[in-house]
Amino acid sequence: MLKFNKKLILSASTAAALAVLTAGCMGGSASTSNTTTEVNGKATIDGGSTYPVMNGKTGPYYVNPQVAADAPKINNGRVPTANELAAWNTDIMPDGTGLPEGSGTADEGSDIYDAKCVACHGDFGSGGGGYPSLSKGNAYDLQKTLTNNRWKDPEADGPVREFGSYWPQASTLFWYIKDGMPHPFTKSLTDDEVYSLVAYILNINEMKIDGVDVDDDYVLNREKFLKIKMPNRDGFEPNIDGPDALNDVRAYYANPTNFGAQNLKKGAVRCMTNCQKETARTIYIKNGGIKDFLPPMSDVRSLPKEKKVAVDAAAVYKNTCEMCHGNGVGPGLGAKSDWAPYLADGIDSVYKKGIHGTDGGMPAKGGSSLSDADFKTVVDYLINGK
Amino acid sequence: MDNKKSNQEIDRRDFFKKAAASVTAIAGTSLISSNARADDPAIMHHVPWGQKWGDPVTKNRYGMPSKYEHNVLRRNTKLLASGNFRASIAVTPIQESMGIITPNGLFFSRSHGGVAHVDPAEYRLMIHGLIEKPIVLTLEQLKRYPSVTRTHFIECPANGGQEWRGPQFNSVQFAKGFMSSAEWTGTYLKTILADLGVKKEALWMLAEGSDSSEMGRTIPIDKVWDDAMIVWGQNGEALRPEQGYPVRILLPGWEGNLCVKWLKRLEFSTEPWYCKEETSKYTDLKPTGKAIQHFYANEVNSTVTSPSPEIDWTSLRDGDIVEIQGLAWSGMGTITGVDLSFDGGRNYIKADLKGLVLPKSWTRWSYMHTYKKGEKLLLTSRAMDDAGYIQPTIDQEVGVMGVEAVYHRNAVETWEVTETGKINHVEIRTMKEVKDA
Ligand code: HEC
Ligand code: HEC
Repeated sequence: MLKFNKKLILSASTAAALAVLTAGCMGGSASTSNTTTEVNGKATIDGGSTYPVMNGKTGPYYVNPQVAADAPKINNGRVPTANELAAWNTDIMPDGTGLPEGSGTADEGSDIYDAKCVACHGDFGSGGGGYPSLSKGNAYDLQKTLTNNRWKDPEADGPVREFGSYWPQASTLFWYIKDGMPHPFTKSLTDDEVYSLVAYILNINEMKIDGVDVDDDYVLNREKFLKIKMPNRDGFEPNIDGPDALNDVRAYYANPTNFGAQNLKKGAVRCMTNCQKETARTIYIKNGGIKDFLPPMSDVRSLPKEKKVAVDAAAVYKNTCEMCHGNGVGPGLGAKSDWAPYLADGIDSVYKKGIHGTDGGMPAKGGSSLSDADFKTVVDYLINGK
Repeated sequence: MDNKKSNQEIDRRDFFKKAAASVTAIAGTSLISSNARADDPAIMHHVPWGQKWGDPVTKNRYGMPSKYEHNVLRRNTKLLASGNFRASIAVTPIQESMGIITPNGLFFSRSHGGVAHVDPAEYRLMIHGLIEKPIVLTLEQLKRYPSVTRTHFIECPANGGQEWRGPQFNSVQFAKGFMSSAEWTGTYLKTILADLGVKKEALWMLAEGSDSSEMGRTIPIDKVWDDAMIVWGQNGEALRPEQGYPVRILLPGWEGNLCVKWLKRLEFSTEPWYCKEETSKYTDLKPTGKAIQHFYANEVNSTVTSPSPEIDWTSLRDGDIVEIQGLAWSGMGTITGVDLSFDGGRNYIKADLKGLVLPKSWTRWSYMHTYKKGEKLLLTSRAMDDAGYIQPTIDQEVGVMGVEAVYHRNAVETWEVTETGKINHVEIRTMKEVKDA
């Protein structure tokens, strides 16, 4: 823990900062324990313990007293240039900070979606195969499913947590598509493309902006984007907005009943006998549970018998190549006419380009970590369809 | 010694069968008379590694585990994978874990756009926003800050999260292995910030990764001034790529997802960011229809690691004394005790802690048990921490959180010990069974 640094007091005078630092200076306090769940009279932000420096230690760890107040500033590094800041400071906040100018329609978004997203996220954002869905229908109706809990009524449908029905802010969608999608070529979309895709995703979620349906020709731009009100905007706790947010968070986690916790210092008891209700019973795993573990569970130490296994080309194709080659991105499985232009330079050239990747969208070895020999076996399978 | 047979494979199974037969012949005693048994070939023969040279010291410049440990592996399952294992998790074999440290190669691996391989020469950390003096640091400059070393677990808050509606994994690796522990080396973030000066309006910090998902999370300033670290060392060596090489943020006790890997940028602001991983995911939906956001700490928790579905008691004999042991941990403090129940949490006795007991760290606990052949047990452990938290029963937790929360499940967990010594993952609860749990 740092001791007071005069400069720091002047500049970093958030309550939290002072609180922690102050606690750090009270080495001689009467308390025998160096644990507390309060910092300067305020609950810790997470409801847990904190370990201020006392008698030269934080918890069981010694700290170097020279790393303290009066220590000279370390002053490493340099100030970033304006261009560097602009290059990296690309986040987009709910109030529009960072949101670029641009525009696009749901119709245009639909075309981009079909070219760059549908292979994973499915028709109309339906998802599947481990890929998240981007819509399950009308966002306003589906928002009402969030109180569905399969405990009270096991027959009921569960809650639908999609972008439209669940997310509190639309800025998250723009930011994430711009920075984190599409796999595997992230950060490759223009701002207009992102506006189009967002319009399309609003469209398949049957959402409105300012009372107007986002239909196929709706032109989404920055101004309209900032008017989006997500159906579940008020669906989250504790409050994290505004200047009082941290007090709200501290108060929330100071009360264990908010988050299903039991605290012995706040009324819970350490029950030692008869701690379950009479009606409690043993629930077993159903239908064998989940057990498709990779690799299969085993604690065997003896070595497996050595045998060279041939690569399972069909399986590699299914898991790695199909998402492109099976979706019209790249020449198709066993499609002679697709492959003819590639084979014009001979099979060795095809192998080589496949191994190194191409500017036309083929990642090196299709993103796999196969040996060259095994990769060639898969290429043969891909070309011949068998 | 029998030289001729020395290179032959020893049929250990056959030996143990014979040994077991001789044991049952003298039921009730654990001291076995020396002439009632077959001689153990592992003793009677020269072993192959005793009769030829081993490897030269020049062979493994970076050592590897014994080839016989080939099944001690991180594992994954398709059901917990987005598509092709790039936004996915591989979990730690905690049934094989010893002590309170996970070897780096077995540390659980979770990423949202694959494991990035960052060139340290091109590594930069930018700190900006509501800061008096924004900076860019190279890796070398970052490492010049005074270092601290701390032992902490990192846990994915979805650890155990598949089991809200009923048990699903008959495996401790999958039921509780979404976590690992290491001794981390780095610097306190507050040490750097003391030099830079944070403006007083700053309430939140964005931590952002440089990987293909540009993983980001909003962190409240309280944690920044408390124990948040920027780390580059893991168990005495550089971070592994899976853990964010060369630099990640470590928020002791808090959700693994908040401990952003491949860290490139810290920005300070008056308002939070609403990143994908703090809205779409990592939020806990309650039966009220409201979801908890910014649920930071992993709550007090524990599990029995031995026995477990992976390490059963089928080879125990009547009267054997066996150690029941496990892990306890809390992201909200230091473990103060663990209770153990043999009847599914109806009645408890005190178990003992052992080894180092550190804040926000894995803690080992233990209880010596005399096994009765054929006994049926329901083993449940329950941990407490110095902030006062104690693990809830399933009914208590579900009573508030419902069964759709996904994250932060820390109710007590139960292993059934069957008559034959097999171990099954079960849940003791009053709620109605859920059809498609
Ligand atoms: C190669 C497969 C792939 C392609 C192509 C792809 N995505 Fe994704 N997408 C994913 C995966 C995997 C995730 C989950 C990431 C995670 O878990 O962090 C995801 C997540 C998302 C999410 C967040 C969903 C949620 O509910 O959390 C959005 C939005 C999204 N993708 C939009 C797009 C858009 C728009 C495109 C096309 C420009 C696209 N994706 C193309 C694989 C893909
Ligand atoms: C992310 C999408 C994607 C994946 C995954 C992918 N490919 Fe491709 N592949 C392409 C595209 C697009 C082309 C066409 C490239 C071009 O025209 O430059 C292509 C072309 C190829 C070629 C011809 C290269 C040439 O120019 O001669 C081979 C061979 C090939 N892929 C093999 C594979 C194999 C085998 C796999 C799986 C292990 C795979 N690909 C996975 C997109 C992909």
